Amino acid sequence: MSRTAKHFLTIYSILLLAYPREFRREYGSQMVLVLLDCQRDARTTAARRRLWLRTMFDLIRTAPREHLNHLREENNFMRKLQTDLVAIGGCVLLIVGALLLLNYGRAHQVPSILLFGHILDALVFTGVVGNLIVFLLVKLTRFRPLRIAFWTFLIVTLVPALALTVIAAGGNSKISAPNVLVGYVVSFLFWYGLHWLWSNKLKPSETA
Amino acid sequence: MFHILLALADKERHGYHIMREVDERTGGNVKLGPGTLYGSIKRMMADGLIEELEERPDPELDDERRRYYRLTDFGFRVASAEAQRLEQMVRSARAKKLLPRTKAG
Repeated sequence: MSRTAKHFLTIYSILLLAYPREFRREYGSQMVLVLLDCQRDARTTAARRRLWLRTMFDLIRTAPREHLNHLREENNFMRKLQTDLVAIGGCVLLIVGALLLLNYGRAHQVPSILLFGHILDALVFTGVVGNLIVFLLVKLTRFRPLRIAFWTFLIVTLVPALALTVIAAGGNSKISAPNVLVGYVVSFLFWYGLHWLWSNKLKPSETA
Repeated sequence: MFHILLALADKERHGYHIMREVDERTGGNVKLGPGTLYGSIKRMMADGLIEELEERPDPELDDERRRYYRLTDFGFRVASAEAQRLEQMVRSARAKKLLPRTKAG
């Protein structure tokens, strides 16, 4: 390799500083390697000059684009983090609210056989278990969050509702089957409704 | 991006091979610079269209610093869908006599 070609490679290695650090770390050495191969192929001085001009033009064109992409990625990360924090905060608030409501009901001696007591029980149970499962599934799978919420709350609502109905039908006088069913239907509508609202109305736009 | 998908459609290649393949296939009309090439590779990897090979296909005969890439199943489907779309457009252009009819067609 000629001395000029070596100088050009050195200059190009320095000019790579124009790219974002992450991009440089990941692909900088590969880019120099590719240029080295290209230089080997360019046998005439004219071909080498064309290569250098093309490479410089490529650098001027792509370095700002990579910076823009980098900024966009950082922005997306911050927006996602913000959305996640709002979602977690919202779930925690709702669960705390439901627990406080349950405590209130018990402190004022609302017996669990009453409809209000059943609704509170169902709200707290499905709220804690359902939201935890929804949160984990949203993080671990690629299904749509609203679909996850629908099926999770449906299952988390149906299983205890059916179990309690069977127990009530078995002769347990403390549990009223119709109240249990109404309680869990209200609970499903409440929690799924909140997730629907979150998905369709409250969640910050991710397309911006 | 489609040029890179095409270059990787038949076998895994490293950056310089991709560059050469695109250059030869387009008769020198498309020349990818290092920044364009690796910028596209980065985005295509993020989109799950291509992946980096963990081992070099021929470690004996090759520079160990080279990184090889290949299409993922998703990348293959995307390339195939784009090729079909282009074929459809060419067929329409031919029907409107914008292109000469081929002997086979």
